Amino acid sequence: MASIFSKEKRIIYARRITGFWDEFKRKRIGLVGVSVLIFFVALAIFAPWLTPYDPVAKKRVADDFAMPEWMTIFPAYKDLPTTIEHSLYWDMEQGLEFIHSWGKVVTVKYKARTTDTITVELSTTFSYSEIPPRSFYFMFEWKAEDVVSTEYSVRIRLYTPEGENQTMYLMWQLPRTQQDKGAHVDVESVEPFFRDMLGFGMEENPAPVMFSRKGEYTLLLRMQFKPLSASASCGVELKNARFVIPGRVHGVLGCDDTGADLFSQLIYGTRISLLIGILCAIAGASIGILVGVITGYFGGIIDEVMMRLVDILLCLPFLPLLLTLVFLYGKSIFYIVVFIAIFGWQGLARMIRSQVLSLRETSFIECARAVGASRFYIIMRHIVPNVLPVAFASLILSVPGAILFEAALSFLGFGDPRVPTWGKMLHHAYGFGAFTRLAWWWIIPPGLCITTLCLAFVFMGHSLDEVVNPRLRRRR
Amino acid sequence: MRGYLIQRAVISVLILWIIASANFVIFQVVSPITPISGIVDPSFSPEMKEALMDLYGLMEPLHIRYIKYIRNLFTWNFGFSFQTMASVAEEMSWRLPSTILLLGSAMVATILVGIPIGILAASRRGSKIDVFAIGSGLLTWGVPVFFIQLLFMLFFSYYAYMAWGFKIFPSSSLYSTPPPTAPLAYMADIAWHLAMPVMTLVIGGFGSWALYTRNVMLESLTQDYVVTARAKGLSERTVLYRHAFRSTLPPVVTMIALGVPGIISGAMITEWIFSLPGIGRWYLNALLAADYPVVQAVLFIYAVLMILANLIADLLYGVLDPRIRVGARR
Repeated sequence: MASIFSKEKRIIYARRITGFWDEFKRKRIGLVGVSVLIFFVALAIFAPWLTPYDPVAKKRVADDFAMPEWMTIFPAYKDLPTTIEHSLYWDMEQGLEFIHSWGKVVTVKYKARTTDTITVELSTTFSYSEIPPRSFYFMFEWKAEDVVSTEYSVRIRLYTPEGENQTMYLMWQLPRTQQDKGAHVDVESVEPFFRDMLGFGMEENPAPVMFSRKGEYTLLLRMQFKPLSASASCGVELKNARFVIPGRVHGVLGCDDTGADLFSQLIYGTRISLLIGILCAIAGASIGILVGVITGYFGGIIDEVMMRLVDILLCLPFLPLLLTLVFLYGKSIFYIVVFIAIFGWQGLARMIRSQVLSLRETSFIECARAVGASRFYIIMRHIVPNVLPVAFASLILSVPGAILFEAALSFLGFGDPRVPTWGKMLHHAYGFGAFTRLAWWWIIPPGLCITTLCLAFVFMGHSLDEVVNPRLRRRR
Repeated sequence: MRGYLIQRAVISVLILWIIASANFVIFQVVSPITPISGIVDPSFSPEMKEALMDLYGLMEPLHIRYIKYIRNLFTWNFGFSFQTMASVAEEMSWRLPSTILLLGSAMVATILVGIPIGILAASRRGSKIDVFAIGSGLLTWGVPVFFIQLLFMLFFSYYAYMAWGFKIFPSSSLYSTPPPTAPLAYMADIAWHLAMPVMTLVIGGFGSWALYTRNVMLESLTQDYVVTARAKGLSERTVLYRHAFRSTLPPVVTMIALGVPGIISGAMITEWIFSLPGIGRWYLNALLAADYPVVQAVLFIYAVLMILANLIADLLYGVLDPRIRVGARR
């Protein structure tokens, strides 16, 4: 058997590919499909560079249902602010020998040298000039170790432009011995205990009242240490103190109900849709070609049994069955691909079979048989290469079906929970109030992406089909 | 003709039996989750579990369970729902009509829109309507119906409600609460609630019918008998409908039968989105709650619907195709 990499073969393949490309080039919608596909592939590859947010962790980056940032060009939304975030810093000049600071980390460490109260103050002053916010939150992390007979406290105060101040957070830590401790404090203005502490009523929202005026606000985090005896020692690390007013507009596509970035979910969703679509199509096409060639070439009882099986599979309620199988065997990409492939090869098998049936009777196959070529040789060298172009066209045409199936599964809540997909975005949008809040930026982009990607494959497949399918070519 | 019908009926029953058996194998033999896991609590004692297994007849040998299962299916006895403890057959009897109403009206409307467009497209090749038929056929392949439905819901229900204070079409349920009592008003109410689901199913599905009808028509328009009909001086209308379209009916009917699984899947998502009280929504809720009697029953009913559609298509095929009608073997 001559190697497929011999020089003559290479020339033949190169000529075939150029000939095919010349033919394909003339199909306008095919080229549109190819360019759209290239665009999506680029999105999938460059996803980490296009967006800084992790689509699975769904970190809060702005207010619930924040609008896309470019909506501010419309007069109705022009006052909506983006997220305001301020880190609290320690003022170097009030330095004490126990206190060290590296960027956002402040450490306090002392051992039985003093009995004075030590005060650490972290603060930030900013001018607020936007409309009153709906909410705000602040957070910091602290970690204590080697604490011996020391009492310490944390208190956060907000100074408004008029000079009033309000305590927003208070914590007392009583003396402890040799006990490591720490916490990640995260306080949101909408929490009931916060409202109670500031003396607001049940129905009131503290945020717009506290930031009702424009001007200079100062946020002060004061940590005080009070050594109770001469043997007192303490080591406390305070870091990542931040104050955030979540924006009402954010990024390219706004936010979902938890304030997580939607654009990143959309971009990363491209990966899953492409992966699932292409894997399912390849798996389905492999089964289809195998069954088609075998039944077509050998005929007889295998043919009869396989074609009945195809008939039965074609009249199964495939979506309910798929849902059941995915539910029983686990919501993972692997099973989704396997099950979609199992339900997606019948049409191709039928088509390949009919092609092989007619190929089998052609004179060049008869010649091959006459000179004593084995069945395997005839199938691999003559039959398969002849059905491959058509199979390839229908492989491309079966990709949108797989993508739509995966989207439907995810939309109904049966998708892989570990990956971001477009269907899952729609599922969450449907389930978590995107409709009542009219959050079109949560509903339309994923649907539009599914549609565009599927149509790209449909256009490509349609054009390919016209190029490689002799029956269609004649009709043109 | 009779031999052909008997053959088709036997094959249908066979397929039904295969699906029912597959159902049994999937849920009771190879399933990684036991059929009662939906109602068993981790705190149950082994004796309790055994008693429950016994109650649901799961302690018997497999072949006895299989025979009972098949007998129950064909006698319309689906057992009791784990969730509501009510008879599945009873609940099915009031949920099924709503699904059949949705399926039936969606199918009829899709065919009534799709096939005429296909005929027109074939008769005026290269015209705007031809481009429209091809375009909508291609779009059908790539546009998820549930996205069209979400869009319709967003604009006709929610945006309309924000702008004018009322929903042009309701976004959920099949009836108003409370439903109107006068029969005519009651029917109008249902029609109003079904309008959006059916409309979106038609928009998402008519293209493939149009494209398919067009392609079959084009083939038939080049046949000798159409040339003969034209040569006889028949009007274009007669040629188109009585001669060309008549011969495309058998393949179109086959296509309709083959399209039923797709329509059932579409209707299931539709029921989910618009909260219609049909068996598709029931199925999804039951599946999420591991309510196996309901899941098995609905799968079986779907198979029955599918097979009925195929059988009707076969019957029509027999009537429409003279080669079968006069009794020649296929």
